[in-house]
Amino acid sequence: MPRFLPLFTKALTDSWRSTLAWALGLTGAIMLYLPLYPSIGGSAQMQQMIDALPQEMTKALNYDQIATGPGYTQATMFGLIGFLLMSMASVGWGAAAVGGDEESGLLELTLAHSVTRIQVVLERALALVVRVGILSALVFLLVLVLNGPSKLDIDVGHLFGAVVLFAALALLSGTAALCVGALTGRKVYAIAAGAAVAVLGYVFNAVGRQSPDVDWLLNLSPYHWAYGNSPITNGADWGAAAGLLGISAALIALGAVALQRRDVGV
Amino acid sequence: MTQAIVVEGLRKKFGQREVLHGLDFAVEPGTVFGVIGPNGAGKTTTMRCLLDIIRPSAGTISVLGRDPRRAGTGLRRRIGYLPGELHLENRTTGRRMLEHFAAISGPVEPKYVNELAERLDLDLDRQTRKLSKGNKQKLGLLQAFMHRPELLVLDEPTSGLDPLVQQEFHALVREVVDGGATVFLSSHVLSEVQQAADTVAILRDGGIVTISTVEALRNAAVRQLRFNAAGAEANDVGALLARVPGVANVVLRELPGDGAAEAAVEATATLSGQVQPLVQELARLNLKNLVLEEPDLEEAVLTLYTGHYVGNGNGHKSVSHTEGAHHA
Repeated sequence: MPRFLPLFTKALTDSWRSTLAWALGLTGAIMLYLPLYPSIGGSAQMQQMIDALPQEMTKALNYDQIATGPGYTQATMFGLIGFLLMSMASVGWGAAAVGGDEESGLLELTLAHSVTRIQVVLERALALVVRVGILSALVFLLVLVLNGPSKLDIDVGHLFGAVVLFAALALLSGTAALCVGALTGRKVYAIAAGAAVAVLGYVFNAVGRQSPDVDWLLNLSPYHWAYGNSPITNGADWGAAAGLLGISAALIALGAVALQRRDVGV
Repeated sequence: MTQAIVVEGLRKKFGQREVLHGLDFAVEPGTVFGVIGPNGAGKTTTMRCLLDIIRPSAGTISVLGRDPRRAGTGLRRRIGYLPGELHLENRTTGRRMLEHFAAISGPVEPKYVNELAERLDLDLDRQTRKLSKGNKQKLGLLQAFMHRPELLVLDEPTSGLDPLVQQEFHALVREVVDGGATVFLSSHVLSEVQQAADTVAILRDGGIVTISTVEALRNAAVRQLRFNAAGAEANDVGALLARVPGVANVVLRELPGDGAAEAAVEATATLSGQVQPLVQELARLNLKNLVLEEPDLEEAVLTLYTGHYVGNGNGHKSVSHTEGAHHA
């Protein structure tokens, strides 16, 4: 009997080490940053220091809301270190899923067995979604646990919405990497595409917030789509979440079709 | 019975460079079909087309009666494939790797996997990254054979295997063929194909030079002949050899007799073609010694390689030259 979703389960089990490593990294970052809020973010001294910084800088770093618990969590965790770690994990997995597998010569043998190429892309994309979901759930739980002790005062519903957007944003760079890997069969192009989505999104947001002259850049920034209305303070923009996930789905579909149509391993 | 593989007019271009220039061949079911040719001749490309890993630029392919481009997973379950460049995952064991492929292409009898591993002398529980090249190759063979496919497509199957395991592999091939399976294998050395195959296609520069049975190749091949005949004149021996078709390069030497030995003629020559006429003629002589060597098929193939190209002015080689000129 053929096992249920063999490629999906294999992709998940093969990457348990990296999943664990990223989970530890995220846990460490959260445990380091959030408990500091009462002494840093909330203090009047810190606020004076931030007020003394150039406005451009505080805007670029999202430190303009750092004086509130949700704002602090957004600025340090979801907007910066968490975003960085999750994007790296997601891009790494997305690039390995097809492009890396093909470049290492493994995909040829897999495709010689009784699988379709669409199945390969879809099952591996599902494994990517599940891993990003696992890490995001971990982030949700850790922030929830620290919410009281660290006096963050975050609304649980808003936290949930923020985590969904956090996951959708990271997934977008991962699916971009997966898609380009499936298109080209090259891991380095896949990583470049995924990193470009994450980095340009961040940069366009940072620059776009500087003045009304360049705020059109915000429209091009997935980072801004996700975080523009401060979901952890104001609740999620579900339309943005659906949009991000929709683009990811389209990228996965494009990758599947592209792989279906081309020569492998040449 | 339908043929196991039918390839007609198969062409493959990578960008501007055409690497297969219209191959035609058919493989009968229950036989071993060997493809030989130098590196870069197009053997691997042809095999990848059969597996739908790459797609032909022109021509039609039928594998087990189906078009690999459209037949999907059902067809590939009936094929076992060993890639020419075998890459295995590092962080796994042979057993886990095989279980994964069995989950995709099953059903696989665990008993048969163990039996194959034992025959090939392979430890399935070692980490794949610690396996030698030969042992990795065995693992590659195992994943190709384990689901008892109707067709085996094996790219350089014995590369890296030591002679004992090669023998075991040839025995395995014979067994599955006796069981009705078809084997399509490639090599760049003829001796290997000669041992395993019923039919041999010689591929060069993306074109088939010739397709022939091993038997026919053997007949076309040149053997070295050497004998001593007692009590004969050199002229008579020369005249006798001249009557045998296929004898050439005759060198005769008279050995004068002494007290212990009779006078004799030592002859060396080459023979191509049938042995029987020669034996009939030699029976007239009083032979003291006779050596008729195994035919050197490598030699035979090399003559075919060159012979056919010279014969066909519009051969494939000239096509590839034109392509090369476009490129340059």
